[in-house]
Amino acid sequence: MGLLTNLRDSITRVTDRLFADDEPKRIGIYGPPNAGKTTLANRIARDWTGDAVGPESHIPHETRRARRKENVQIERNGKTVTIDIVDTPGVTTKVDYKEFLDHDMEKDDAVKRSREATEGVAEAMHWLREDVDGVIYVLDSSTDPFTQVNTMLIGIIESQDLPVLIFANKVDLDDADVKRISDAFPQHETVPLSALEGDNMDEVYEKIAEYFG
Amino acid sequence: MPHQCTNCGQTFADGSKEMLSGCPDCGGNKFQFRPAGASDSPPPEAGGDTDGDAESTRPDPGESAARRTEPPQPDTDSSDHARSGGSVGSTGSSQPSSDTEDGAQASARTDVVSPDELAAAAEPTGPASEPSEDPPDDGTAQSDEESADPNLDALRQKLNDQFESIRIVSPGKYELNLMELYDREEYIISLREDGRYVIEMPEGWDDR
Repeated sequence: MGLLTNLRDSITRVTDRLFADDEPKRIGIYGPPNAGKTTLANRIARDWTGDAVGPESHIPHETRRARRKENVQIERNGKTVTIDIVDTPGVTTKVDYKEFLDHDMEKDDAVKRSREATEGVAEAMHWLREDVDGVIYVLDSSTDPFTQVNTMLIGIIESQDLPVLIFANKVDLDDADVKRISDAFPQHETVPLSALEGDNMDEVYEKIAEYFG
Repeated sequence: MPHQCTNCGQTFADGSKEMLSGCPDCGGNKFQFRPAGASDSPPPEAGGDTDGDAESTRPDPGESAARRTEPPQPDTDSSDHARSGGSVGSTGSSQPSSDTEDGAQASARTDVVSPDELAAAAEPTGPASEPSEDPPDDGTAQSDEESADPNLDALRQKLNDQFESIRIVSPGKYELNLMELYDREEYIISLREDGRYVIEMPEGWDDR
């Protein structure tokens, strides 16, 4: 079964290269947990396809498997770009079930969530290596962007020469600080937005079309 | 007569309070439970110190082996009784001998878990998911979440020095080496609590 899967993937990859111009770009939505990645993915998917990608939650690691929404057609300035959105689990270096206990979760469920979240991070890192053509890196504007995870992931993305947009999410929060994020990654374009409120989505789609079209 | 003193063979009805402070006859504090249907199985012979007045269930060695694998069987009159451990002889007194177990206890315990299994079950709490030949010391592993190191190579080296891709600190608590997860070709798709994990083998494995 694994052989067939690998064979199929190989063929997919070859055909992807042959018809690269016609195939939608796979855009991975990356970032630390609770940055608003799924909220953004749902916002984009709902705006352009009417469907959602997955459930959102204030509890970290709600997304524990990468989810893909294919053939999202975004129209900007008379041009249409088609992308596959890959919503990935939040990337972190530590997962501890105890952080879930604060959210009225039983220990067994918290331990299970913790294990799944760890698998999700492994999956997200694998996708980053194998399966994305561009990255939207989502950060919570109200938190400090200078973390090991952010530095490392941006570094990996740069080393792959992938096009990347930094999305400073949650600008609707009082303590949001977009400048702190743009200062942290001056080599990349930073787009402020609130995926939850739908603030500044016009610029979001313009930049997506510009970078990934 | 479900309860029987393993020392003198005195029997007590289920729910009896007499035995709560030890056998009133010999002071023994170990009892075995005998279901009603097994009441004719033998009690151990009294060691000669006392013989209970309610000795309706005097030992009948012929039937004992069929009922229990290790019934406490007094072997001689000189020793109060024989135990499966065979190392303690102070049972005639009221002093509890907690470091040994009798046949009934040993028999009951065999259905639960062996010491070997306990030891094996404790192991996954250590670093187990990966052959983490070099577990991180707490200093480097704990404090680097907030301290961004702009030098990617230095960061990579630092992380690689810590552990391989995933370290199980304890059940439900993991540390991840993101760079290693990214670098490795195989793909960890499922973790197990016992420290095992499932990987998807990369295509083109043979080419490398």
